[in-house]
Amino acid sequence: MPARTKVVTVKRGLWENLYLPEIVRGLGVTLKHFFINTLGPKSKRQIVTIDYPDVVRELPERYRGVHRLNTREDGSVRCTACMMCATICPANCIHIEAGERENPASRDIEKFPQVFEIDELVCVVCGLCVEACPCDAIRMDTHVHMPPVEHRKDAVLEKPELMSRGTKSIAVDGGAGPDWRDKYTDLGSLTQIYRPDHIERDRERPARR
Amino acid sequence: MSEHEPTPTPELVTVKIDGKEHQLPKGKNLLEALLDLGEDISYFCYHPGLSVAASCRQCLVGIRGSMVPSCQTTVSDGLELESQSPTVLDARRQMLEFTLVNHPVDCVICDKAGECTLQRHYMDWDGKPSEIDHEKVEKPKKVDVGREIVLDAERCILCSRCVRFCQEIAESPDLVFEYRGNHETLTTAPDRRLDNSYSLNTVDICPVGALTDKDFRFKIRVWELYATRSVCNGCAAGCDTEVHHRDGRIYRMVPPKDWDMNLNWMCDDGRRTYKSVAAQRLTRPLVDGEPAELDAALAAIKERLEPLLAQDRGAIGVVLGADASNEDNFMAARMAYDFLEAGHVYLADSPDNGLGDDILRRDDPNPNRAGARGCARGDLGSSEDLARDLADHKLEALYVVGDRLDLSDETLGQLRGLKLVVVQASEPSRLTDKAHVVLPAAKWAEVHGTITRTSERAKRDLSASRFGRMRPAVEPPGMARPHWDWLKRVGAVLGVTVEFESAHAVFQEMKKQVPFFAEAQWGGKIPTVMLRFAGRRG
Repeated sequence: MPARTKVVTVKRGLWENLYLPEIVRGLGVTLKHFFINTLGPKSKRQIVTIDYPDVVRELPERYRGVHRLNTREDGSVRCTACMMCATICPANCIHIEAGERENPASRDIEKFPQVFEIDELVCVVCGLCVEACPCDAIRMDTHVHMPPVEHRKDAVLEKPELMSRGTKSIAVDGGAGPDWRDKYTDLGSLTQIYRPDHIERDRERPARR
Repeated sequence: MSEHEPTPTPELVTVKIDGKEHQLPKGKNLLEALLDLGEDISYFCYHPGLSVAASCRQCLVGIRGSMVPSCQTTVSDGLELESQSPTVLDARRQMLEFTLVNHPVDCVICDKAGECTLQRHYMDWDGKPSEIDHEKVEKPKKVDVGREIVLDAERCILCSRCVRFCQEIAESPDLVFEYRGNHETLTTAPDRRLDNSYSLNTVDICPVGALTDKDFRFKIRVWELYATRSVCNGCAAGCDTEVHHRDGRIYRMVPPKDWDMNLNWMCDDGRRTYKSVAAQRLTRPLVDGEPAELDAALAAIKERLEPLLAQDRGAIGVVLGADASNEDNFMAARMAYDFLEAGHVYLADSPDNGLGDDILRRDDPNPNRAGARGCARGDLGSSEDLARDLADHKLEALYVVGDRLDLSDETLGQLRGLKLVVVQASEPSRLTDKAHVVLPAAKWAEVHGTITRTSERAKRDLSASRFGRMRPAVEPPGMARPHWDWLKRVGAVLGVTVEFESAHAVFQEMKKQVPFFAEAQWGGKIPTVMLRFAGRRG
C-alpha cells in the first residue's frame, strides 16, 4: 500500500518573508524558556535533565543493572556452575569454569564456579540469565549502570567483583522441604535488596545548584 | 548376545494395541516391539543388551485389566493391550512419582542432566511437583567406588542396570544392593571395587547420574558438546565410537547409542585414548632438528633423496605404520613399490600386550595392523628385521610413516649414519630426535579415513563391518596433516603427480587397486552435531 500524503501549503505574507523579524521572534521563545527554567519560580520550571552523576534518577524496581552473584549463609557463592545462564545467554557473554570442592561436608554441594566472568560490553541486558538461574545466584537488581571503562578487558567482571554486590539469598539450597509453606508465610520480609551506597547518599544530598 | 546365525523369519501374529490391530513377530519382547512401532513408552531398567529385571515398573501396559511390565511380556497371538489409555498413563505417572521419592533432583550439579532418562520422562509425562511430603532418605554421596567412577547413591533409582552389566557383560560382579525397601542402596560387593576394564559402561547405561565418570565430572554440560562418529584406535577391535568435543578439545568418547558392532559397549582404556590427541604434539616440520617451513622440509627431502634414486634403489627402506589408516598405508605402499621401488618395506607395530579378552578388547594394540598388511605386496619386515638391516648397512635411506616404530638405542644411533631418515609422526619421540626430516602428522581424531578391524571375534563374527570409518572431530594442531597428504606432497616435489583431493579419493583408488579392500565401504555422511540438537538422549 503506497503511503498516503497530504500536501499542505503554508501561506507566508510579507512579514514572514522578510525573515529577520521571525528569527527574532523564535529567539524570544527560546529565551523565555531559558529564563523561566533558570530564574523563574520553581513551580514553573520544565527542565527534565538532571545533574548526573551528582543526582541519580530513581530507577524502576525491576530495572536490569550490572549483574551480581548472591551468597549462601556461609558467604560462599550460591552459583553451582550449572551453565543455565551461559546456555541461555543470547550474547554468549558468560564464561564459567566449574570446579569441585576439595573436602565437602556430606550435604554440601560439590560443584562451584572456579571462574565466573561476564563481559558487560557483550551483554545485551536481556535478563534471561536471571530467569534461567535455578539457584537464585545471578541477579541484575543492583540498580547500577555499567560504569564506563577505559579498556575493553575492564568490562569483563570476574567472580570477586560480581560477588562484592551479592547479598544472602532468601532461597534455600535444595528447597525448603515439604512444609515450606508453613515456614515462610511472609516471603516479602525475607528479601534483602541491594542498595548501592551512592544512591542512599545522593538521596539525602540536595541537588547541586 | 545371540550367536550370529541366520535367524528364521519370525511368525507374525495379530496384536491389538489400544484397539488397533498390528502384525508383530511372535515371541518378541513386547517393550521392544512397542518401541519399534513408535509407541511412546517410558522405561528405566530395561536395556537391550542385558537380561530383563522388570524392577522399575515404568513400562506398564494394561493387559486384561491389570498393569503388566511390557519388558517382561512377550508378543503372543491374540494379545490385547492398552498402551496409551488414561489408566495406563496414570499408572506410569504414579510409578514415576514413586521413583522420585528419594531422588534428590539435583540436576543442577548432575553431570547426567541433558541425557538423563529420569529427567526426560519427568518432562514428558509428569512435570508437576511431588505430592509426597516426608523427608527423603539420605544416602552416601560422592562414594569412590572404582578407579574411574564416583557413586552418588541418593540419585540411584535402583534399576540394577549396572549390577546386571557387571555380572553379565563384564563378568565381574562388582556391584550389589544392600538394605531393603526405602533404604535400598547401591554399593560395591564385599572386598570388591568397580575396577573391571569395562566399568565406564555403567556410567553410560545408568538412567540417572548415580554413577559418574571421574574424568568427565564437572568438566562441561553434555548439551554443550558436539558429537562426531569415529572409530576407537585403542586396539585392533576398532569399536565404533562417538567423540564428544567442543572448541577443538575432546572431552570424552562414548559408544554410539545405536546398536552397532560393539554392542553399545566400549572398554575403559579405549575411552581414554582421546587424551593422546591433546598430548604434546609435533606442530611444525623439522629439518635436522630445527623447525622449518613446509616448502623447506619438502625441498630438503628432494635434495637428499634424488641422488639416492639415481643409484641402487634397494638401499631405500619404507616403514608402514600399524597406527595409520588404510589410505595412509596405501599411499605409503604405492610410493614404496611403484615409485621408490624400495628394496625393503617394513611394518612398525607395537607387540601384542595380552590385554585382550572375549568381550571386545584384542591383544593387538595396533588399530590397523591388518590394513597395513593388506596394502603390502609381499611380506613386510618387522622392526627386528629393520634393526638387522641397519646393522648390516643394507640401508641408506628410511621413510617412516606413523609413531609405532620403537627401536633400541643402538639402532637409533645407526640411523644417524644414513643419508636420509624421514619420519611422519604426530608426537615427538626418540626416533623423531634422530630423523633428518620430520613431518608433523594428524592423529585419528583429526582425519577422514578407514581402518581395518580384526574380524575374528569371540562372541560373534561381524565380517560385514570389517572396516571402520574415522571422521575428524578436531582440527590438527599447527601444520600437522594426514599421512596421505604428506606422501602426496613428497611425491609432488619428487615429480610424481598424484591427483588425490581427499581421503575419500584415495580410498576409492585403493578399493579399485587392492583386492583386500574390495568390500570396504566408505560409510555414509554422519554430520557432527551439537548434542543439544541431536534429538532425545537418555
